Amino acid sequence: MGKAMFKLVIGLVVGGGLWFTAKAMGFPPVFQWAFFSYAAVGTVVFLLLDLPSMKPQSGWGAALSVLLFFGLLCVGYGAGASLLPQFDPEDEKGKTAKVLGSAKSGNPLDPWKADEVIQRAKELDQKVKELEARIKALGSGLATVPQPGGAAPVTASVPAPGGASGGDILKVGEEQWQLQECYNCHKLRGDGGKKRGPELDNIGTHLTVDQIKQKIMDPKSYMATGFEKEWEKGRMPDKFKDVMSDGEITALATWLNTFKNTAVDTPIPIKKK
Amino acid sequence: MTIVYNKRRGIVTIPIRHLVTFVAFLALCVTGVAGVYAQTPGSPSVEFPYTGNRAAVWIVAQFHTLLGAFILGAPIFVVMAEWLGYRKQDLRYDRMAKEVTKITVILFSLTALTGGLFIFVLLATYPQFTTWFINQFYLVFAVIYPLMFILGTIALYAYFYTWDAWKGEKKGRHIALGVLLNLLCMATMFAINGPTSFMNTPVKEEGISPMEALAAATLWDKIANASWMPMNIHRIDGNIAFGGFVVGLIAAYMHMGAKNQEERAYYDWMGFAGNLIAVGAMLLQPFTGLLLAYQMCDYDFSFCQYMMVEQLSMFFEMQGAIVGLMFLGCNYYVWLSLRRIQGVEQVRMTVLAPIVMVLFPPVAIWGLTTYWIPEPMSLAILIPLALAPFILGRFIPVTVSVHTVMKIGFLMVVVSDAIWLTPNGFAATGARMLDDLQLPESWDFLGKMPTKLGAIFSLVFATTINYILYGKAIRQGTIAWGKIDGISQFVLIFLAFTSIWAMGLMGAVRSLLRKFFHTYNLIPDFTAESFTPTLSYSAWLITGITVVFFIVVSVAVFVALRPVELKGREPEGSPVPAGTK
Repeated sequence: MGKAMFKLVIGLVVGGGLWFTAKAMGFPPVFQWAFFSYAAVGTVVFLLLDLPSMKPQSGWGAALSVLLFFGLLCVGYGAGASLLPQFDPEDEKGKTAKVLGSAKSGNPLDPWKADEVIQRAKELDQKVKELEARIKALGSGLATVPQPGGAAPVTASVPAPGGASGGDILKVGEEQWQLQECYNCHKLRGDGGKKRGPELDNIGTHLTVDQIKQKIMDPKSYMATGFEKEWEKGRMPDKFKDVMSDGEITALATWLNTFKNTAVDTPIPIKKK
Repeated sequence: MTIVYNKRRGIVTIPIRHLVTFVAFLALCVTGVAGVYAQTPGSPSVEFPYTGNRAAVWIVAQFHTLLGAFILGAPIFVVMAEWLGYRKQDLRYDRMAKEVTKITVILFSLTALTGGLFIFVLLATYPQFTTWFINQFYLVFAVIYPLMFILGTIALYAYFYTWDAWKGEKKGRHIALGVLLNLLCMATMFAINGPTSFMNTPVKEEGISPMEALAAATLWDKIANASWMPMNIHRIDGNIAFGGFVVGLIAAYMHMGAKNQEERAYYDWMGFAGNLIAVGAMLLQPFTGLLLAYQMCDYDFSFCQYMMVEQLSMFFEMQGAIVGLMFLGCNYYVWLSLRRIQGVEQVRMTVLAPIVMVLFPPVAIWGLTTYWIPEPMSLAILIPLALAPFILGRFIPVTVSVHTVMKIGFLMVVVSDAIWLTPNGFAATGARMLDDLQLPESWDFLGKMPTKLGAIFSLVFATTINYILYGKAIRQGTIAWGKIDGISQFVLIFLAFTSIWAMGLMGAVRSLLRKFFHTYNLIPDFTAESFTPTLSYSAWLITGITVVFFIVVSVAVFVALRPVELKGREPEGSPVPAGTK
């Protein structure tokens, strides 16, 4: 008993030490408690090592013990997982519905409507060509420099590509940024990115709409300076040309082209293809 | 009609009821395939009450996979045990192998039945996709897989029913039959892993659309996709570990039900043997799993984000906790096992072993952060470090006791798992990450992959040292079989339950990686259920499936291994021709 108490005290001291050290080093409270819980687990382990021997169980007593033990494991694993932060499916449902809505209406993902898809793709191609011509005609009036400090870029009213109902190409582009989760790798307006891909606030200075579009459709076409390893390993997925319509890619490229914040050091892309 | 080995005629015959099982299975396959072609594209799917369609498929698929894992893993375990028994002339191995085979025979039939059920549930819930999918792998689903399964069943029954006939001089022949059974089982798994892995990483070609790439692909291209071989390796290794842990479970049940000391001693030994093989295979599991994840991330880097940063990040937090508990569990089993070894106090080990154990996490994390895989320099740091106690230890006279080494081992298992568990932030998705949930910038290396891999290496190293010590103690001391601490049987049950649960969790992760696609980037899932479920929902579902699997295995153990007490009955006399006096 004395040994167990000693271990408990040691566990508390270690846990408390970890808690205060973590606090002093600037760890948020959730990590301080996590470190304390690791010390608690360690204490339980060391208490188990000195547990007195248990006689082998048999008969109905053993059966009951096993059942109780199963119950404990079930509740432990189910409740343990429930205590961790939970992803809210509602966050995803809206996005999925939009992406799949687009697929249902003619993205070449639905193998049961191949003829319809081909016809639709031809129509989209035609629309995109018309749209590109319109964008070029609009010239610099379309792309406005976003305000420093992360203010949203000024949007221009242009018929949306790919049958989008909105009528605002920049809104469609921004929506595609969210739907395709580009923010997972690229930082923009101070949000997202984990240094897996270049920060894009000044991409509009380096690349034209067509060039950005080419990069999205063929990630190997341009390589950002300083991201040689990522480029070689093909870190940027080459799936976007398949999961997005041509119009959606154009909208995204157009929206990205509006980011010309020279205060941000967006690496210069080098043409590779 | 029970037909077995006929000594007089020197032939082996198969019971009629088993032939009926073969025919039923064949019919199931044929009707399954016919059912597939009876479906017309666009036919409405059924709506499963209470669970919904996705959960219905999830339950049946996972149950089938768990049974499949056992019936593929157990034969590897069984043949290894039989061979060891033959080589060491130790009858316990042979008895264990035969008992496990008895249970495997029962679960083999259930695997076939749940496989058929799986196809039917898929057809009912996702008729268009299933039809398309079977069309893509028609040869696999209609010919190769059923054929391999039937050949495997014949080999298993032949293996089981020749056990007593092919002994002594014929034992080698029996072991060869076991090897053939394993080859068939392995081929079956490789065949079905083709379509399974294809759903995650279908064929793709640079510059052309996925549909065009698919149209140009041969069946072999579809099977040998990017994640096929890593999945084969991960599953072979996982099935051996799984088989071993389930053998440990069987031993625990039987140990508790043992009527005498002799039986208790035998099942104590069986638990030890099962656990030893399981842990040996488990030590490789994190690495084969990492290879599979690495290959998938290489195929599409967004998988990596989805797993480690986004929707599934907390699934990996749970995985870290579960795997850490398993490492603690198997080390605790060794600790309890040591208590029944007489003379264990004399066993000592070089002081370098605990020193390297303590040094392992920081050195491994530094090495892997500086030289991330596949750079060979990382191995050039880790291998000499891991071998130091065994090579340099010979020249250092200072030694420490087995208990000291093990206690430091436990400490390092806890520390390593704590490192593994520490996430980049306590948020379910990167999108919801706030500063007060995230690691400080100067400590963000704790949440990165090199740190996680360093922690895994450290866990494996500490456990290996403990098992090497255990082996040393067994050689130097005397084991009092049957005298093991009663808690150890609960540890065996815990390990089996946890390994099954971990398998369910990781299987869910692999399936969920397809996001809102049935086949990634090719066939979208247009149903309302194509979203990532919460970890809590998934955990309770996995728990339910694990419980059902446990009940089935427990019943199989009871049916196959229960002690039969023959009641006295009248001896059957020789038939007497009518009319004789």
